[in-house]
Amino acid sequence: MAVDTSGAYLQVDNLVKYFGDDKAVDGISFGIPKGAFLTLLGPSGCGKTTTLMSIAGLHTIDGGRIRVGETIFTSPKEGLFLPPEKRDIGMVFQSYAIWPHMTVAQNVAYPLEIRNWDQSDIDDRVAEVLELVGLTDWADSLATNLSGGQQQRASLARAIVSKPSLLLFDEPLSNLDLKLREQMRVELKRIQNEVGITSIYVTHDQSEALVMSDEIIVMSKGKIEQRGGPVEIYSKPVNEYVSNFIGIANLMKGKVVEVSEPGIGKFEVTQDGQTVQLPCRLTAGIAAGEDAVLSVRPENVHAVPEGGGGVLTGECIHAIFLGSYVDCRVKWGDFEWKVISHPRNHPRTGEKVHLRFDAEHTLAVQP
Amino acid sequence: MTTETLSPTRERSRTSNRLRAMMTQENLITFVVAIIVAGAVIVPLAVLFVSSFKVLDPLGWDTAWGFGNYVEMFTDRIIPKAFINTLIISSGSTVLATFLGVSLAWINARTNCPGRDYLEPYNLIPFFLSPFVGAIAWHNLGEPQTGLLNNLARDVLGIEGAIMNIDNIWGVIWVTGIFFAPLVYLFVVGSLRRMDPSLEDSARTTGAGLVRTTMTVTLPLVMPGILSGAIIVFVTSAGEFGVPFKLSAPYGWETLTTQIFSKAVGDDANHYLGAAMSMALGIITVFLIWVQQRYIAPRSFTTVTGKGFRPNVLDLGPWKWVAFGYNLTFIAVAVVLPIVCLIIVSLHPVWTGKIVWADLTTINYVKTLFWWRPEAISAATNGIGNSLILAFGGASIAMVMALVISYMIHRTKGFGVRMLDFLSVVPIGFPGIVLAMGVLVTYIQTPIYATLWILMLAYITRFFPYGQRNISSIMLAISEELDQSSRMAGASWFTTLWRITIPLLKPGLFAGWILLFIIFLRELSISIILFTTGTETLSVGVYYLTNFENEPLTAALSMAQTVLLLIAIYAFRRFAGREALTA
Ligand SMILES: Nc1ncnc2c1ncn2[C@@H]1O[C@H](COP(=O)(O)OP(=O)(O)OP(=O)(O)O)[C@@H](O)[C@H]1O
Ligand SMILES: [Mg+2]
Repeated sequence: MAVDTSGAYLQVDNLVKYFGDDKAVDGISFGIPKGAFLTLLGPSGCGKTTTLMSIAGLHTIDGGRIRVGETIFTSPKEGLFLPPEKRDIGMVFQSYAIWPHMTVAQNVAYPLEIRNWDQSDIDDRVAEVLELVGLTDWADSLATNLSGGQQQRASLARAIVSKPSLLLFDEPLSNLDLKLREQMRVELKRIQNEVGITSIYVTHDQSEALVMSDEIIVMSKGKIEQRGGPVEIYSKPVNEYVSNFIGIANLMKGKVVEVSEPGIGKFEVTQDGQTVQLPCRLTAGIAAGEDAVLSVRPENVHAVPEGGGGVLTGECIHAIFLGSYVDCRVKWGDFEWKVISHPRNHPRTGEKVHLRFDAEHTLAVQP
Repeated sequence: MTTETLSPTRERSRTSNRLRAMMTQENLITFVVAIIVAGAVIVPLAVLFVSSFKVLDPLGWDTAWGFGNYVEMFTDRIIPKAFINTLIISSGSTVLATFLGVSLAWINARTNCPGRDYLEPYNLIPFFLSPFVGAIAWHNLGEPQTGLLNNLARDVLGIEGAIMNIDNIWGVIWVTGIFFAPLVYLFVVGSLRRMDPSLEDSARTTGAGLVRTTMTVTLPLVMPGILSGAIIVFVTSAGEFGVPFKLSAPYGWETLTTQIFSKAVGDDANHYLGAAMSMALGIITVFLIWVQQRYIAPRSFTTVTGKGFRPNVLDLGPWKWVAFGYNLTFIAVAVVLPIVCLIIVSLHPVWTGKIVWADLTTINYVKTLFWWRPEAISAATNGIGNSLILAFGGASIAMVMALVISYMIHRTKGFGVRMLDFLSVVPIGFPGIVLAMGVLVTYIQTPIYATLWILMLAYITRFFPYGQRNISSIMLAISEELDQSSRMAGASWFTTLWRITIPLLKPGLFAGWILLFIIFLRELSISIILFTTGTETLSVGVYYLTNFENEPLTAALSMAQTVLLLIAIYAFRRFAGREALTA
């Protein structure tokens, strides 16, 4: 295991956290280089917030070790625990947590006052940061008079004002409406790029994760399922869980019947008496003869005419026009394939359809 | 990624983690506070429990262990009757207070009764005044010979004899019921106001009339609130000392509280028997409060939708004037009449039941308030100073404690939090006189006995939960992330408390402080057990005057107390909201 031999800036080793007898975080480890933007992605209750809070020091952990730079934040075994205020972290909360009894400028100045900066330096720095987040005109309004998006900016300003060594975000955009959320994603990423602070971002929104992150960790039930860049996570999920969680995928149980060369083989599925073998890529660790799950994104399944390379035949049971594409369902035995077709040439409801699969993007993953 | 099995080391690492976690600033403070609170709450009750098994020999020299006190409670000439009287009084007061409280709340929250917004604060006034003083006022109104109302009936209406006699068990029920009606009112008015009007409307559309809708839909929906209020009234009445002491005990209707009092001080004092009786009273009240907290209070939130819509009120038609008259009558009977009566009585050198314009004098105020004058009665004049010290000091200390405890309960997961949560409910279950008995038997041999400190200790122990609830309700409403982000900004736990938490809690702190100030200013049943010469409080002064002096002097000091309370109530209305009134 990686016991902190990496040159990572932030290193989490074997983090364990119990609530009562429930394991909220079950021995996760990861490291990130300085300046990177890492996202913890997973469904509600999988332990993302708990991981973040452990790094922040807002609760104690039951096992493992967290280090940033040269400083060990916490390590129960060694009896080390640095209180949160000594960790030099900026944090943006889901509820923004803008103090309602202070103005925006006072909110942003607070971390600097705590660090005993000179008043003139504080004023300069606050002005600079408010400029960066676009709140200059709102400096003197009470925090409660701001809109959700503005509160979010203020919260971000407060988090970065003291140039902390680490930025933590706990679902910062989930209280905003869709339009604003998409706009703030870009904005947030821009500001993070500009200040260059190592960041950990928690979300359950996969598109947010894909757009913003340098790296993504997919979690479930307190464990890491997969770690990788956005493209890798999307196009090469290692197991059924990840491919189901990220994007939309056709997932079908079956068996690997042949491994022709490393990472490439054939996958056999049976439905309604029809047995079909599909060429596919294999996730590392899957051998011939093992049960696995086939994962194909809808955009990699094509409805083709007779003789167009189709490997199986089903019936189109619905086709919905969605502007730039047509969303089709093709019934094959008990299974329904999700297929994306071009609006100019798509199957109609009730038609027989032949399906062709891109071998490059057809994956056999761990069940 | 590797997964190492952690099971062998799990227990050990969790234990050492616990130990280390205990060393943080907030955990140390939680621990210390928990110990202090536990000492203050548990020790007197434990000593009370133990003492109740000590039996005094007939000569009063020695004690032996046994159940003698409990046996005596059943065989004594008076105590069993006192028990029954307490049950009758509590039941009667509960019925009366619930009827008054629910009907007034319904009129104010659900109907178009004229002047509703204007009437509400007056409906609540009795809640803040002293029931003991209310009993004194009603004694002067309804005593057969000297009662003002009886004399007016004789003189003006020419009625023979007396139209009423307040000096009996029914008088106690009357005064207690009126004074505790606002408690029920507070428990139901919020739910009634926030109730989704479509619930009533849908009943009306099925053809149910106004009365039927109210009986089958409206009241059942607020039933948890009504039950909570009724239980609190029952418990408070059972622990009430002043009203039965004034109105029924002298005429042969003793209650548990008046009996406990006579065992605590009096000539035939027997602290151990008093302890046993306190245990009996305490067990009843604790059980009822437990039922209320455990089963009834949690339900009052589920029946009501909390969204902020403005419910349309019922149009009562001409009946709205009946409702208006009813409400005015309540205020007249509960607030105006007693105060007017006290003023009149206090201005007479002696009270014979008739207003004698030629004799009017302010001498009673001089004797009870002007401590520098030779004719001043020190038992009375001591009261104001002592009560103000206790109210200012006690409210301040109790609010600091309440703040720390609320913070611990809602913001830390530290060691001892569960115990703190429990300890801050316990005192609510024990009537003041019971806790005071415990404090008495615990500290009688120590130097703090016979000082103001013992009173302050008992006050705070009994009443800090009220302040704590005021703070907790606000603390629940403000996000924990507001604190956490201050920690992340680099502020220590204490700086966060000082710069973020306390400013946000200011309204709750202030409301709680005034509430405790008011409670302490009028406190009787604890003070009466624990005072000695020199540490009389306002209410003890009133007790002294009514017991050893005359009614006009009593009325004068009662008025002084009432005026102080009215000022505090005004401040409370002005600076706190009615939201702060969660009993
Ligand atoms: N203070 C707590 N006490 C007890 N259990 C907790 C506490 N905080 C979290 N948990 C539990 O730990 C598990 C992980 O919670 P966590 O808040 O980390 O999830 P999350 O991934 O952030 O979910 P969400 O997307 O809903 O915020 C959950 O099962 C949760 O119920
Ligand atoms: Mg979370």
